[in-house]
Amino acid sequence: MGELIRQDCAAAPAESLQLLTFVVAGEMYALGILRIREIIEYGRVTTIPMMPAFIRGVINLRGRVVPIIDLAARFGAPPVQAARRTCIVIVETGEERFDVGLVVDAVCEVLELPAERIEPAPAFGARVRTDFIRGMGRIGEQFVVILDEQRVLSIEEMCELARLAIDGAAVG
Amino acid sequence: MSGMNLEAARQTFIEEARERLQELEAGLLALEHDPQDGEWLNAVFRAAHTIKGSAGLFELDVIVGFTHRVETALDRLRSGEQAFTPALGALLLRAGDHIGLLLDAAVAAQEPDAALLQAGQALLDELARALGEAPPPVPAAAGTLPERVERSGGAALGPEFWHISVRFGREVLRNGMDPLSFIRYLGTLGRLLRVATVTDGLPALADFDAEACYLGFEIDLDSPVDRDTIAGAFEFVADDCTLHILPPRSLAAQYLELLRALPEDDLRIGELLVNSGCLSRVELEQGLRRQAEVQPSPPLGHILVDQHGVEPAVVDEALRRQGQVRERKAASARFLRVQAEHLDALIDQVGELVIAGAAVALLAQKHADTALEEAASTLSRLVAGIRDSALQLRMVPIGETFVRFQRIVRDVAHELGKEITLQISGEETELDKSVVEKIGDPLMHLVRNAIDHGIEPVETRLARGKPASGHLRLDAFHDSGSLVIEVGDDGGGLDRERIRAKAIANGLITADHELDARGLAELIFAPGLSTSDSVTQLSGRGVGMDVVRRNVESLRGSVEVHSTPGAGTVFRIRLPLTLAIIDGFLLGCSGSRFVVPLDSVVECVELDTAGAGVCPPYLNLRQHALPLVCLRELFGLPAGGGARRASVVVVQCGGRRAGIVVDELFGEFQTVIKPLGPLFAPLRAISGSTILGSGEVALIIDIAALVQLAAQRRPVLPSRSPA
Repeated sequence: MGELIRQDCAAAPAESLQLLTFVVAGEMYALGILRIREIIEYGRVTTIPMMPAFIRGVINLRGRVVPIIDLAARFGAPPVQAARRTCIVIVETGEERFDVGLVVDAVCEVLELPAERIEPAPAFGARVRTDFIRGMGRIGEQFVVILDEQRVLSIEEMCELARLAIDGAAVG
Repeated sequence: MSGMNLEAARQTFIEEARERLQELEAGLLALEHDPQDGEWLNAVFRAAHTIKGSAGLFELDVIVGFTHRVETALDRLRSGEQAFTPALGALLLRAGDHIGLLLDAAVAAQEPDAALLQAGQALLDELARALGEAPPPVPAAAGTLPERVERSGGAALGPEFWHISVRFGREVLRNGMDPLSFIRYLGTLGRLLRVATVTDGLPALADFDAEACYLGFEIDLDSPVDRDTIAGAFEFVADDCTLHILPPRSLAAQYLELLRALPEDDLRIGELLVNSGCLSRVELEQGLRRQAEVQPSPPLGHILVDQHGVEPAVVDEALRRQGQVRERKAASARFLRVQAEHLDALIDQVGELVIAGAAVALLAQKHADTALEEAASTLSRLVAGIRDSALQLRMVPIGETFVRFQRIVRDVAHELGKEITLQISGEETELDKSVVEKIGDPLMHLVRNAIDHGIEPVETRLARGKPASGHLRLDAFHDSGSLVIEVGDDGGGLDRERIRAKAIANGLITADHELDARGLAELIFAPGLSTSDSVTQLSGRGVGMDVVRRNVESLRGSVEVHSTPGAGTVFRIRLPLTLAIIDGFLLGCSGSRFVVPLDSVVECVELDTAGAGVCPPYLNLRQHALPLVCLRELFGLPAGGGARRASVVVVQCGGRRAGIVVDELFGEFQTVIKPLGPLFAPLRAISGSTILGSGEVALIIDIAALVQLAAQRRPVLPSRSPA
């Protein structure tokens, strides 16, 4: 439950990236750890009515109400089914350092990836939208999608999607 | 003063100066109605005087110079040399605005730019003309006041300048005052001929406290200002210094009187005075001899009256003014300036305390221990008290916000050639400061709109058989847990046909779309709709009403419009009282918890759905049809335990009643509102969240929005795709 890191410094230098890897819908993804505040066990999430499926609800994080994003649903896959290893990764997003929680199937490890093992996002062929990808990290023979949390967790975009879902519900 | 302290003091000064400006404006507006009211005039004068005095402390010379001229004009009004006219009032109002602009420049820590200075000079010229004077010289620091009574003639012996003798108290430096700043300020009033430092108060080095002030000054000032102005320079240390001011051409006896009053060695001060030419050595010796004879010395006021024929009325006036200053000091002592963040932090902590208290109460209930439950309930009661007191700290009356509109209505109506009276009521109604700050702009839009579009031109009004003067009304009151602000006019009402035509032209509705009166009125809140044919500077650009609605909704409020053709329009803004903590009523539905504001709950009744699981659209409540809102259907919650009996919570909002159908009632609950954050901004009917004693998150229902949502009669489909 302890906080992994709490740093206010700017993004890591271009040489290497410290990453947290995790599994969502059977695929491995990674996020830079600078913006990750903590990882907690999946607990009771209060659903918010009328919101799109990728906004799973809110949790009480030590007295603060934090929204929970279902990454699988955000990528267009079926929502994560809560299981024993399901976790919530709390990430800061946006200029205002607004906290959101990401539901992931399992958290793997924290690793440091040198720059030469990070490649630019492929033009096509990835399972997630290209603009969500910050780069592809090579770990052994495997590739891991390094996510751009600014894009994946863009409040403006998610808000717009929520608005569409609500208006759709009101009309339908 | 250290840099930090100075900056803090400067902030305080600017805040205070703005408050004084408001007083000045309020006073001038009141004078327009009752030009004879001396109290208002005094208030206006005091406001200007205080701004000038404190600006001097911070070396804001431009403000000092400008305000000084304004003060001079006010002084002439006060002395009756000049009668108050509406034109002069308008000019002084503009002068007040100019001081506001100068303050803005001071906030930005900038010197006012040339354009601003020029505007100021133009105003001063205009002011001088209005007073029938020659325009003042450009850097008008010192004014030309008429001669005062202090310049009593007779056997004048003394020199042609003011003599000021000041001894600062020990605490002056510690209180954040810099003795030098006062002397610097005096320098702006005239020419400092001589400043002698009196160091007699200095203790031996061993006893010397580096933070204490031991100094005194003997100052000779050549200035045409009056005694009040000089004394005013020391207003900020009035309680903390000994001040003696001798007018020019005073009798030697007065200097000797001064000697008697000062604590230092007589000879030492005597020397100073002799050196500065106030006294001759012979006079000094005579005086010192006399000093021994006259014991105790009579008060200075008596001496003035006895020796110089100063009219007792003048002395009385001085004493009265002194009393006023004291009174105001006492009033300001009853208030405490607290930083808003500190207050917010306190409210947050109280919020946590409320949640923790709820957790304790829940545990106590579980353990079924009477003593524990009793203790927990005592705790809850105390916490509720603390909560209320803490929230009260942030409550401010809305009056301040309303009063600003006096000026706006006056100016705008003037500009449009309309006659409008503004009636304000309910100004003592209190609401959260954070709400007050954000409601000003929407109100401004509504008021301007009412003046511009609502109230007809005079000819039209007369033709319609209405009084020539339009009537605008601002009202505030509490209604079932929310605050209602009404902006009403007695104008022509909304022109529905024109709104309709505009809406069709803008593609908001189709030509064959039929709307009821209410729906049509709602159209004015649509973006891009303006019914005014002429775009004026004030409104009519089609931005405004939609912004009003958005701003109000961002405060969890709502705005509606009621219009009667030919008789006027009323805009009603409904706002939550506070953004932090409310008394709630906890409900359960399909395993989720919801909170409704307790104030909106009228009663609870049982609903026998007899296992049908479908709730009827209406309930017969004591022969009245009560529309029902099924929370499960509306929110698309999973069906659960359908066989149980449901409950109906009867709620009231804005005169409408509705029943909310839920599974369970949990009773009252102190609800600490946690905003859901920007992600949920599009969400309707849910205004926030709260944390229950169990740690669960419950959602707070916005009754007005819920009823509105349900009124659309389209049951919300489950939005979660079953993928």
